[in-house]
Amino acid sequence: MTDVTLSSARPVAAKRPGGASIGPRWTNALFVAPYMVFYVLLLVYPLFKGIWMSLLQSDMFDDTSKFSGLANYYRLFNDKVFIGTVWNTVLFVVMTVPVFVVIGLLLALALNRSDRTAAALRAIFFGTSVLSVTIVTIIWKMMYMPGNGAIASVMRYFGLDPIAFTTTASLALPAIAITTIWWIIGLPMMLFLAALQQIPGELYEAAALDNASRARSFWSITLPSIRRTMLVVVIYEIVAQFQLFGQAQLLTQGGPNNASRPIVQFIYEQGFRSWNLGYAAAASEILFVIMAVAALAQFFASRKRVEE
Amino acid sequence: MRKLSTVLLAGLVVTAGAGTALAADKTEISVSRFFGACEADYGSVTDVTKANGECGIITALINKFNAESTTTVVKPEIVEWPGYDQLTARIRSGEPPVISVMHEAVISNYSSRGLLEPLDEDFAKAGIDVNDMTDAARQGVTKDGKIFAMPFDTHTWLWHINMNLFKQAGLVDEAGKPILPKSTEELFAQAEQFKQKTGKPYFISTLANETAFYTRTFDTLLYQQNADFFADPNKVNFSSPEAKGALQLLSDIYTKDYTTKNQDYAASVSSFAAGDGGVFICGTWLVDTYDQEAKKEGVALSNGYAVMPFPQIYSGSPRVWADGHSWVLLKQDLSDAQRASAIEFMKFLWDNNYEWARTGHLPIRKSIIDSDQFKALPFRADLAPLAVNGTALPSAVKLQFSIQDIEGEEVGSAMRGDKPVDQALADAESRINELLANAK
Repeated sequence: MTDVTLSSARPVAAKRPGGASIGPRWTNALFVAPYMVFYVLLLVYPLFKGIWMSLLQSDMFDDTSKFSGLANYYRLFNDKVFIGTVWNTVLFVVMTVPVFVVIGLLLALALNRSDRTAAALRAIFFGTSVLSVTIVTIIWKMMYMPGNGAIASVMRYFGLDPIAFTTTASLALPAIAITTIWWIIGLPMMLFLAALQQIPGELYEAAALDNASRARSFWSITLPSIRRTMLVVVIYEIVAQFQLFGQAQLLTQGGPNNASRPIVQFIYEQGFRSWNLGYAAAASEILFVIMAVAALAQFFASRKRVEE
Repeated sequence: MRKLSTVLLAGLVVTAGAGTALAADKTEISVSRFFGACEADYGSVTDVTKANGECGIITALINKFNAESTTTVVKPEIVEWPGYDQLTARIRSGEPPVISVMHEAVISNYSSRGLLEPLDEDFAKAGIDVNDMTDAARQGVTKDGKIFAMPFDTHTWLWHINMNLFKQAGLVDEAGKPILPKSTEELFAQAEQFKQKTGKPYFISTLANETAFYTRTFDTLLYQQNADFFADPNKVNFSSPEAKGALQLLSDIYTKDYTTKNQDYAASVSSFAAGDGGVFICGTWLVDTYDQEAKKEGVALSNGYAVMPFPQIYSGSPRVWADGHSWVLLKQDLSDAQRASAIEFMKFLWDNNYEWARTGHLPIRKSIIDSDQFKALPFRADLAPLAVNGTALPSAVKLQFSIQDIEGEEVGSAMRGDKPVDQALADAESRINELLANAK
C-alpha cells in the first residue's frame, strides 16, 4: 500500500486554506479610490500642470503658448520687484509665526480653565478667525487711517502726531502682521488648548508633591507634552503665512514702494492683470519650494529635538 | 366671507401669473458695471433728471430702461472699480456678462484676443450714427478699423477748487474767477501764499492705496511739455529731462507740505468737501457731486465751488490726460434675442448720453456737445476745450492698466520720498519695458 501510494500517484495540489489571504488584494484599493481620484485631479495634476506652465511663455487668452525652458525663472531672479516680494514674505513669516506660537500658547494657558469667563474669552479670541479678510481689513483700515482712524484719534488725544501706518514703507508690513495676528490668533490658541487639556492631571499632582514650582512644571511637563502640537502650529502657520495675500492687497496694495508686496500678490498681478500665466506659474513654483523647504526644515529640526 | 377670500386669492394668483408671464417674455441681459452702488437712494428712481452723480444717474438710467423696454430686462452686476480682474476671471471661466463697462484704454487688450464682438453692423442697423461720435470717443472705441464698444464719456483730469478758501488766500480775480498758476514758479508761489493765508495745504491729493493720481498727473505734466514718452508703443521713455522735471515738481509739492498726505480716494474726496485744502486734482466725475454740495448751506463748499481744466504750467501745450468709459459686448454664445437686447440697451445709452454728461464727464456725441442744453450746464464753458486737449496713450500701447499701475507706483515712491527721482524713473522705465517685451 505504501509503495503504490508513493510511486504511482502524482501529488494532489493542496487546497489553500480559507481565512486570511497572503499577498496583495488590489480590490482593497477601491476603498481609497474616491480619495485618490480627487487627490490626483485636484492636487497632483495641477502641481505638474503648474510646473509645465512655468516653462512656457503663456498668455491668459492667447492659445499660442510656446516652450521657453527656464526663461521665466531666469527673468524672475533678475526681477527686483519679485526679489523684493520674496524678502517681504520671509520677513512677514518671521514677524508672525513666533508671535502666533507665543501669544497662542499664553492665551491657551490663561484660558485653560472651565469657568464661564474663560469660555467667553475663548469664544471672543476665536471669534475674529471666522471673519472674512474683507471685513478684517475694513476694520483695520479704520484703525490705521491717519486722518480719522482710531489709533490716530488716540494719539492726538495724547498730543502726539498720528502715524501713517499703511503709507510708510517701514511700517506697512508690520501693520499687516498686526492685522493678521489679530485675525487668526484664535486657531493656534485652540490647538494649544486642546493639547493642554490632554496632559494628565496626575503629572502636575506628582510635581506638586515634589514641590516643583509653576515655572518648573511648565518647563518639564507642559512644554514636552505639547511639543507635537507646537510643531503642527509652527508648520501650519509657516505654510499659511507664506500665502499672505488678501490683507496686503486690501490694506496697502503692496505699497508703498513695494514694501509690503508678498509673493502671492505678485503671482496674482502677473496672472490676472498682466495675463502672463507662465511667469506667474514660475513664481508659484518658487513659492512652493520656499514653503516646502521652510516647513521641512522646521519638521526635521523639531523631530530631532523630540528624539533627543 | 369665505367666498370673498377665495375671489381675492384667485385674483392675486392671476395677477401674479400675468406679471410673471410678462417678465418671462422679456429677454434678460447681464450688465457689469462699476460707478458704485446706491440702490438705497435710487433703487426705484426712473426719472433720470432727479438723479445726481455717477452712481445715481447710471442706476436711474437702467431703471428707466427696464421700465420702458417691452423686450429687455437689464440685470446690473455691480463690481468694485476698475473690475478687470473679476471680468478676466469670468471670461476665463466661460461666464462673462453680456455687457460690461470698460475703459477705452483697456479695450485693445480684450479685442486683440478676440474676446469682444465688433459692433459696426449692429450700430448701423440700430440707427446709431457713428459720425456723430466725437473724434476722441470714436478713436477710443475703434481698434484695427472696427468699433468694439459704445462710448459713454470722455473723462479727464481737473482742478476742483474751493473758492471760499481761494478768496481767503487772495487768489480770486475781479471777475470772480480763480487765479491759477501759469508756470511752475507761480504754482509754488501761489501754494505758499495759500498756505500762509489759510493755514491749509494748497492741494488735496489721493496719495494712498491708489496709483491713478500719480499716473494721470505725471502724464499730464509730460503732455504739457510735449514729451512723447511712447514714441515707440513697445517702449516707454522716462529718461528725458521733462520726465525728471515733472517728477521733481511732484516731489517738491510733497516735501514742502503743499498737499495733504496719506489720504486714500474716499478720504480725499470727503476732505475736499470738508474744506481741508484749496485744490483737489481729480476727474470729471465729481463735478456734479461737488456742484450739488456747493448748493447746500452751512458746508465748507457753500456757494464756493469752481472747476477748471488742469492749468498749463509748462509752455508746451494745454494737453491733459484723458480716457473714456465705454460699453462692450463680450464674445459668447448669445441668442439673437440677447444680442438684439444688448444693442437696444446700448442705443438707449446713446440716446440718453446727455444725462450721463450731467455727471461732469464730457459727452461722446458732437450733437450734445454743441447743444444749448449741454452748454447751459454749470462750468461747461470752461471745460469745453478738454474735448480737444484730452490725450490718451497711443492705442497701440498694450496692457495700459498694468503700465499705469507700475508708473503710478514708481512716481508715488519718488513723490513721497521713498526713492530718489532718478531711481524711480529708471525703475518705472525698466519695469514697463520688461512688461511690454513679454506682452502679447
